[in-house]
Amino acid sequence: MSKRKPYVRSMDGWWKKNPYFVEYMIHESTALFVAAYCLVLLVGVIRLGQGEAAWNGWLAAMQSPLSVLCHLVLLAGAVYHTYSWFKILPITMPPVIVGGKKMAPEALTGTALAVAAAAGLALLALVWRIAL
Amino acid sequence: MEIFKADVVIVGGGGAGLRAAIAVAESDPLLKIALVSKVYPMRSHTVAAEGGAAGVKKSTDSYDYHFHDTVGGGDWLCEQDVVEYFVKQAPIELTQLEHWGCPWSRTEDGHVNVRAFGGMKIERTWFAADKSGFHILHTLFQTSIKYPSIKRFDEHFCVDLIEEDGRVQGVVTIEMSTGEFHLIEGKSVIIATGGAGRVFRENTNGGIVTGDGMALAYRHGVALRDMEFMQYHPTCMPVTGLLFTEACRGEGGFLVNKDGYRYLQDYGLGPLQDKPKNKYMELGPRDRLSQAFWYEKQKGRTFEHPTLGSVVFLDMRHLGEAHLRERLPLIYEMAETFMGLDPAKELIPVRAGIHYTMGGIKVDAKCAASLPGLYAIGECASVGLHGANRLGSNSLTELVVFGKLAGDEAAKYAKAVSPGNSSSLLKQAQAIEQRILALKTKTGGTESIAVIRKEMAQSMEDGCGIYRTEDTMQATCDKLAELRARFKNISIDDKSSVWNTDWLTAVELDYQLDVAQTMAHSAINRKESRGAHQRLDGPDGAYTKRDDVNFLKHSEAYYVADGAPRIALGDVKITKSQPETRAYGAAGEKADQERKASHV
Amino acid sequence: MSENHKIIEIEVLRYNPESDEEPHLEVYKVPFTDDMSVLQGAQYIKDNFDGSLTFRWSCRMAICGSCGMMINGIPKLSCETFLRDYYPNRIRIEALAHFPIEKDLVVDLSGFIEKLEAIQPYIIPKEPKTLAEGEYLQTPKEFNAYIQFTSCINCTLCYAACPQFGLNPDFIGPAAMALLHRYNMDSRDGASASRMELVASEEGVYNCSAVGYCSEVCPKHVDPASAVNINKANAAKDYFLRFLSPKGGSK
Ligand SMILES: Cc1cc2nc3c(=O)[nH]c(=O)nc-3n(C[C@H](O)[C@H](O)[C@H](O)COP(=O)(O)OP(=O)(O)OC[C@H]3O[C@@H](n4cnc5c(N)ncnc54)[C@H](O)[C@@H]3O)c2cc1C
Ligand code: SF4
Ligand code: FES
Repeated sequence: MSKRKPYVRSMDGWWKKNPYFVEYMIHESTALFVAAYCLVLLVGVIRLGQGEAAWNGWLAAMQSPLSVLCHLVLLAGAVYHTYSWFKILPITMPPVIVGGKKMAPEALTGTALAVAAAAGLALLALVWRIAL
Repeated sequence: MEIFKADVVIVGGGGAGLRAAIAVAESDPLLKIALVSKVYPMRSHTVAAEGGAAGVKKSTDSYDYHFHDTVGGGDWLCEQDVVEYFVKQAPIELTQLEHWGCPWSRTEDGHVNVRAFGGMKIERTWFAADKSGFHILHTLFQTSIKYPSIKRFDEHFCVDLIEEDGRVQGVVTIEMSTGEFHLIEGKSVIIATGGAGRVFRENTNGGIVTGDGMALAYRHGVALRDMEFMQYHPTCMPVTGLLFTEACRGEGGFLVNKDGYRYLQDYGLGPLQDKPKNKYMELGPRDRLSQAFWYEKQKGRTFEHPTLGSVVFLDMRHLGEAHLRERLPLIYEMAETFMGLDPAKELIPVRAGIHYTMGGIKVDAKCAASLPGLYAIGECASVGLHGANRLGSNSLTELVVFGKLAGDEAAKYAKAVSPGNSSSLLKQAQAIEQRILALKTKTGGTESIAVIRKEMAQSMEDGCGIYRTEDTMQATCDKLAELRARFKNISIDDKSSVWNTDWLTAVELDYQLDVAQTMAHSAINRKESRGAHQRLDGPDGAYTKRDDVNFLKHSEAYYVADGAPRIALGDVKITKSQPETRAYGAAGEKADQERKASHV
Repeated sequence: MSENHKIIEIEVLRYNPESDEEPHLEVYKVPFTDDMSVLQGAQYIKDNFDGSLTFRWSCRMAICGSCGMMINGIPKLSCETFLRDYYPNRIRIEALAHFPIEKDLVVDLSGFIEKLEAIQPYIIPKEPKTLAEGEYLQTPKEFNAYIQFTSCINCTLCYAACPQFGLNPDFIGPAAMALLHRYNMDSRDGASASRMELVASEEGVYNCSAVGYCSEVCPKHVDPASAVNINKANAAKDYFLRFLSPKGGSK
């Protein structure tokens, strides 16, 4: 009879065992922030459909200090999510060949972040103009 | 005991063993193959080969050139019919590797590229960056998975051969994960267990390179041939012995002493060349370069490093980072991680270290040993290709050329003989089990395996180094006899069954001591200087020269129970190249021209 | 070893299946010099303190893939990790995470080997060629498409870095996927369709949640995470193609 007795280690709390995994969990959980903000917007759309009074009520609620604070937190979460998502972007897509050479991961992440920032700013400018 | 009935058993999953397994599988899919290896095949030491594999490729090259480079490089101790077969098969087998997916480096137009290598007249070394062995091994391992008739016994440690009715009929292994013994019956057995460099101290070899298969065949009466010829590689990392491939020089690296002087020009390898020139300077053969290191040290022209000892320098700064990263990526990384230096900016300290076992299990031109049914290939074998000095990049090709041949031959043999008597094979296997178990279970020993191993390695370095004398070799022979006696009194800490490496290391040490003895005794018996065997003594220095009258002969070491090996001399097969002076650099070119002129 | 060596404490996770219920830590005080690797530290313990300490190793030059360990919780090749970088702190070495421990630092790799065998890791030629016809030609572009994925030394550090493999040991995992991708990308090979089934299967790429640590720890810059993720896209494409045309996709 074989005397083997392989020992299987528990996976409990695995994500606490390595800073990389902690960062991964933060990245994953900030997806919830993005989802939460989507919910907020969804409620807005529903309110809009319910008539002007409902819509104005929603707008007022949005301006309360608590809501502003909430927005800031959600924004921070969303920004972090974007940042960490682009950080792993290079490993999630086929290699980008520029001038016969593979683009460096840092360059790829940098480009993606720059594009995201530009798009965000453009959107902001657009919304700002409408609001004015 | 678990029993497996194979047709062909292959011990060793390196390049040679894998190639043989595939050959058997392709020659007849009905033959059952057992492939035994003490490590997963892709861990075999073929993985460490960096530079490449030789085979005629360019239109300016010829089989004849390759033949003469090899025979001259081997100081005329090669079996010339074997070399002739080898050079013709080489390109075919290297192309076969390409078809199986080996990522050989290419030229811009998509063909396989070749690079310069020491002692080779024309560029003919096929390479996969500086990881040629790695790629060959993984290609062969992965290809072997395609064949259902190959049954692998990974992490099985072979402890003996089974001989019955005057022929070999199988092997006994220990399954490392359980410590249990297995009998693997086979009608033919191929040994492909690699070299024995670990019997020396500073070496380029992996921990598994302990000469196991050599010792197994030797104890069954098969001769170990030309064991005194151990190759020193001139550019190794000091202390660890890790290798900086010859390709560093093939790509244009220089060797300089402590004064920044390219000292090889003083040793018959000049005149100085700016660009790598085949057979000149840094591209001379390994034995000459290692010997030059030894002389530089005697002259006090090596650099005395506070922690690394005596070194010379490999200078690759002029090649530039981009070129080095493309052609020598592994070397670049090794210099960075292991030595903390940047080869594009700094000199790399190096010195000569033990690298390759030229000798091995004596086999004929068809890879068959004197024990019927037994074959040997790769570094553990002496098929007669390398003579007294192997040319770099001939051995990787040897693995596939003779792996294929031995596979075909062993398959033929297995089909021709009838199976043995299983019950008497089992009885033998059980006796072997008892003997090997006793090593572990015995109590009261006082000697440490590690200490004996260290003393052996030091003594081999002292007595069988780059230059040898009667006295130092005799001291080594005596030391080995003493260690053999002390080995009987070893103690093993680990008494368990599962993964008992303490025990297996002891079995390996037992093999190593046998192999070391054949080396030292063959060396002291060879009273001349040839290739990698260089002496400083003899009446009026007689042994410092090659002596074709008495020693154009192979050494053959035969096992003598509980004693030193018996050394005999065997003939060398000469077909078309008569021994000449071995010259390199300008002198070599002149000799070449003279030879050509006299042939016309 | 020189005289004035320093002493480092090495803490080793020991496990002997024949006498231990579970692994435990033991500390050894090892004299060392600056050129000593963690592997040499372990060898020192085996040679001088306890011959039963068990670990795999061979090449000492980061190419055979034997010597992976968790070093202070991070999967690394012990032969190219140096004691000097941890001194004067204590260093802890353990068997590679996520694999069953056989004994001390040796883990059970049979599952990994089975995965390698499952992916058809060999050329199934697009256009068979005889040896007499010579080599296949490969342009630099064709060559560069797969060469990175040939560098894997099967050290399995990436599996020790992959929590999804830890949670589901059947997941085909980073290195095996990288090897599969290597053959699919090779211009000589014509069998990517037949490898697709495995890619999209229950053991396949969809186990991956893009943690990305596998590529981070890979000592040979294989970037297995990218191979896995590229194949997520390939599998999805394959799936839809199957609806569009009976000839598209793998089945
Ligand atoms: C650092 C280095 C660089 C080199 N570079 C080059 C080069 O550029 N060009 C060139 O031509 N040559 C080179 N060589 C030489 C060449 O690589 C080797 O000669 C060759 O790879 C040996 O292959 P092999 O198949 O005979 O043995 P190995 O690859 O060493 O395989 C031996 C096999 O036998 C098995 N084995 C051993 N003992 C047992 C046992 N008791 N039980 C079960 N299995 C066992 C092992 O597990 C292993 O699978 C180099 C060598 C070194 C060390
Ligand atoms: S992909 Fe990298 S980390 Fe994973 S096994 Fe291969 S070499 Fe090791
Ligand atoms: S010992 Fe081979 S990879 Fe570390």
